Amino acid sequence: MLRTDINELLAQAGPGTPMGDLFRRYWQPVLLAEELPENDCPPVRVKVLSERLIAFRDSEGRYGLMDEFCAHRGVSLWFGRNEEGGLRCPYHGWKYDVTGQAVEVPSELASSNFCANVKLKGYPMAKRGDVLFAYLGDPAAQPPLPEWEAYTVPDGQVFTSKRLQECNWLQALEGGIDSSHVTFLHGGNLESDPLFKGSKGNEYNKGDLKPFFEVVDYEGGLLIGARRNAEEGMYYWRVTPWVLPNFTMVPPRGDHPVHGHFWVPIDDENCWAYSFDYHPTRQLTEAEVAAMRAGKGVHSANDASYRPLANKDNDYLMDRESQKHGENYSGIEGIALQDSSLQESMGPLVDRTKERLVATDAGIIKARQKLYKAVKALQDGVEPTGNRAKDQKVRSVAIVLPADQSFVEGIGEAMVAEPAKPHTSV
Amino acid sequence: MSHHDHDHDHASGPRSVPAGLSSCAEAATAKEAAYRIDYPLSAARNTRVVALDDEAERIVRSAALLDWGQARFFSITDPGEVLAEVGASDVPLDKVMTDTNTVVMVATSGENATAVAAIGDLARERGIMTAGLVVAPGALTSDALFHLRPHARILLVPAEEDDLIELLRATRA
Repeated sequence: MLRTDINELLAQAGPGTPMGDLFRRYWQPVLLAEELPENDCPPVRVKVLSERLIAFRDSEGRYGLMDEFCAHRGVSLWFGRNEEGGLRCPYHGWKYDVTGQAVEVPSELASSNFCANVKLKGYPMAKRGDVLFAYLGDPAAQPPLPEWEAYTVPDGQVFTSKRLQECNWLQALEGGIDSSHVTFLHGGNLESDPLFKGSKGNEYNKGDLKPFFEVVDYEGGLLIGARRNAEEGMYYWRVTPWVLPNFTMVPPRGDHPVHGHFWVPIDDENCWAYSFDYHPTRQLTEAEVAAMRAGKGVHSANDASYRPLANKDNDYLMDRESQKHGENYSGIEGIALQDSSLQESMGPLVDRTKERLVATDAGIIKARQKLYKAVKALQDGVEPTGNRAKDQKVRSVAIVLPADQSFVEGIGEAMVAEPAKPHTSV
Repeated sequence: MSHHDHDHDHASGPRSVPAGLSSCAEAATAKEAAYRIDYPLSAARNTRVVALDDEAERIVRSAALLDWGQARFFSITDPGEVLAEVGASDVPLDKVMTDTNTVVMVATSGENATAVAAIGDLARERGIMTAGLVVAPGALTSDALFHLRPHARILLVPAEEDDLIELLRATRA
């Protein structure tokens, strides 16, 4: 249960809102690099944190992210001509560089300094791996570029997809923290999905359907450990990191690539799920990438605008026979859609005054509390965690440990990302 | 419809389903959320909160001052046998663990391991959910953690003092 005012405070991330101010202390994924594939390619509309923006890549390969609308008459620059180092409004020819600075206003005299005084609001945007990250906050508080391991590994070791999720970002994030749903909702996929199947960890999963949980508070966020019985005197641990405000990772299985997500607010009723798979020590195989592109693992099969092909307009292609016979616990195909179908069914912004949480929801309760405290601390001038390299160089872990060992002590350096260090997986 | 049929559908584009009143497209809108029926939720959870040491008792007593549904608050007197209810008299552990569905244990040290085991055993036998909060620096390697671990379905480590209140509020205790 969460009071309406706190629910709204945590959920609303638009300009000038408390949570919006917190989000504007972080670099956030705003596009896949494939959306701006070459110099002078067509511009792309971006809506993020309830701001309408336009992104483009100029003739020199520089990335620009700025107010979508021309300063002159408010025309959308999506119609613009991306040419000769800037984006030109097709209405009267006003042209802007990647910072949003007007560089040509053809109606003015050549000697006029008018255009020097015209600037659209612009934000820095940078390519990391196969994703474009942007920073929408105060330039004076801009953190270093993101150091997530997935986006620092060599080319060919990471694959990122994005999909539209038609509900508030917090509903989606909470699904990433809520480890207790996996046994039910995704249980059928462990041995059928090519990106999960075949690991020893799957046997532990299936052998103990009632895991215990330990939620460990650490500086960057939370570590959520799910514990299952393994061999005599041993526990199988799956450790999920959540890093403030919207990053989660899934514990690995065998030598499969490692997955994770960013849940990025588009507006208060929609978000993007940026879902990645990477391997810290090897190239992704053709078969793995093909599976990811086909929507296996944490990915989804999407249309050209990144909306899943199975969506609420077609009832997510619900298959009652599959549900009845247990091939899919929910009747929805694919882990991503299994999650989003249920999270969208809660409504665009769920009324948390009506929920009935239980003790095993303590991870969600704690995450909400940490978000709330981070928002309040920022209002008091205390900068948040989660935007520093030391917070971001984190790994999910799957490991078997003696029953009398703390999982944090047991995983030790295994949760710290380092170049070419094998990940700890079972 | 088989999986293969689904794959075929994906390859040829999404299956079209008319957006009727019972469809997800209609039902998942903000407009429809306004029609969710409004009625009082069923009775609050019967939560028992047990302080396992003196410092934990201070935290639990502080939480007990707030307004709760059916939550009751205790500390250990005779390990494994009797608990002292905050603001009331002593109650045998067996009775504390009757008509409850959640027990939250709060520890700051590794004291009273016997009581933890007794509570855990009764909870297991009676199907009572257990949670543990370890409010202590160094909680990750503390005796409190290892005493609670076999008996708490979920543990918060290290917990902050106000985590107890947040947990109780969120679960409508």
